[in-house]
Amino acid sequence: MANPVPSACCVVLAAVVVVYAQRHSQQDSHIQYERVGADVTMKCGSMDWDAAVTWTANGTDIDESHLNGSYLILKNVDLTQSGQYSCYEGSSWHLKYQTYLRVGTPPKDPVLMCRSNNYPKGFYCSWHLPTPTYIPNSFNISVVHGTREMVCEKDVFPKNRCHIRYLQLFSTVKYKVTLTVTNALGKNSTTLTFDEFAIVKPDPPESVVAKPVPNNPRRLEVSWQNPSSWPDPESFPLKFFLRYRPLILDQWQHVELSDGTSHTITDAYAGKEYIIQVAAKDNDIGTWSDWSVAVHATPWTEEPKHLTTEAQVTETTSASTSSFMPPPTTKICDKG
Amino acid sequence: GDSWGIFTFLCAALCNLPALPALNCTEELGAGQSIQKTYDLTRYLEHQLRTLAGTYLNYLGPPFNEPDFNPPRLARAERVPSATVDLDLWRGLTDNARLAANYRAYSRLLCYLRALDGQAGTAELRHRLGHFCSSLQGLVLSIAGVMSSLGYPLPAGPAGPPAPPGTPVAPNDFLKKMDDFWLLKELQTWLWRSAKDFNRLKKKVPPAVVTLRLEARGF
Repeated sequence: MANPVPSACCVVLAAVVVVYAQRHSQQDSHIQYERVGADVTMKCGSMDWDAAVTWTANGTDIDESHLNGSYLILKNVDLTQSGQYSCYEGSSWHLKYQTYLRVGTPPKDPVLMCRSNNYPKGFYCSWHLPTPTYIPNSFNISVVHGTREMVCEKDVFPKNRCHIRYLQLFSTVKYKVTLTVTNALGKNSTTLTFDEFAIVKPDPPESVVAKPVPNNPRRLEVSWQNPSSWPDPESFPLKFFLRYRPLILDQWQHVELSDGTSHTITDAYAGKEYIIQVAAKDNDIGTWSDWSVAVHATPWTEEPKHLTTEAQVTETTSASTSSFMPPPTTKICDKG
Repeated sequence: GDSWGIFTFLCAALCNLPALPALNCTEELGAGQSIQKTYDLTRYLEHQLRTLAGTYLNYLGPPFNEPDFNPPRLARAERVPSATVDLDLWRGLTDNARLAANYRAYSRLLCYLRALDGQAGTAELRHRLGHFCSSLQGLVLSIAGVMSSLGYPLPAGPAGPPAPPGTPVAPNDFLKKMDDFWLLKELQTWLWRSAKDFNRLKKKVPPAVVTLRLEARGF
């Protein structure tokens, strides 16, 4: 195809033929789904086996070695062989058959998760496939509560998610959620069974702020807010878990707070930058939220920071509620 | 034999509870503190129940001790009071109704549990059940105390015999075990619900209310 003019002519001609063929509906044009690794045999429409035909893949001629008579044989297909396959009658170059080959896999077990981050309003379920199938999939979700079938309303965004409103509270009957994934090559499903209380997990606390306290070199004031998705903190109060550590150490210190949305850390190492996170949980039921976004803060110091080893040693000899051993001084020098 | 007599007496005693004069109570707890105490009791019981239920369900054997066991509710199970309630209805309950629902439920559950105690197979189970029943009785009395201190009458009617008249005893071993399973499930759900009930009460009934009520009643 060195000369561009003849190839341009060929393209135009092929386009005209396709349009003509489509208008006259002389052949099939459809989508064909096949599994990875399968052997595929394509027939050229209604043509006889011994007819002279030419097959193309995405416009490129296919070598005759792949043909068995007028049938196209593709062995052990892989993903790269997806595309448009067309069959033309030998001499007239009439388009006799066309198909889109989509190579893919049947769905594996879908991953399903249900969670109530807005108790007592309801819960949501979200799902995804652990590995892609490379062909279109459809999802169907069913929620059964005792004898009652409930409707899980699909969310616009994100797509693979739906939500349900609780009709009753404090139910002893479990919820059974079944997700079925179907595509042209097969189907698969996953079922979750759970109690109303077991899936309660709030979103992490929001707007976590940590500030130094003036004239207090060992204090940090932390405050946060209830997650906005939690609808009724008055009747369903949250409790909180705070964790903090200086950047230079690996071990966290933890504080559990059953009341309020603020806490003052009083045993911070002077002059060291701290990383702080907060998690939330319903007071009585369910599990802890994920950790909030981490905030950084350094306690107040009188002058520009001196990261001296002497200061570190004096702090550890004074009374401290922290339970972890300070690192050896050489380590601080190295990291400081 | 003896145990039947004891719990019948206890049930009768609980029935006569309206006579309990909260004002004679030497502790002089404000209603707010009583509610807190009751809340703490529900949390303690919920924790205790986890161990008890695990042991008891293992005693019942499969499928009752399987985590996914999700049987349909049989009609006969309805005699155990259910904590399940419509959300808006629950929100709209008056303090009196809220407390009364808890009181009635635990009184009945206690009686059923005592019946269980009488028949439990192993000594360890009987010990655990006995201990739990004592704690549960403490909860019933605590709720009664809160109601009295707020000036609410205790719900009328007996706590009831283990099997209210008219309900047939389980015809076979499997159904009897089903009854036990649902009893423990309802108990667990009630304890979760009570935590929320008493949370709401905590917020709505400050200690000052008791003083006002005392004055209104001429004390």
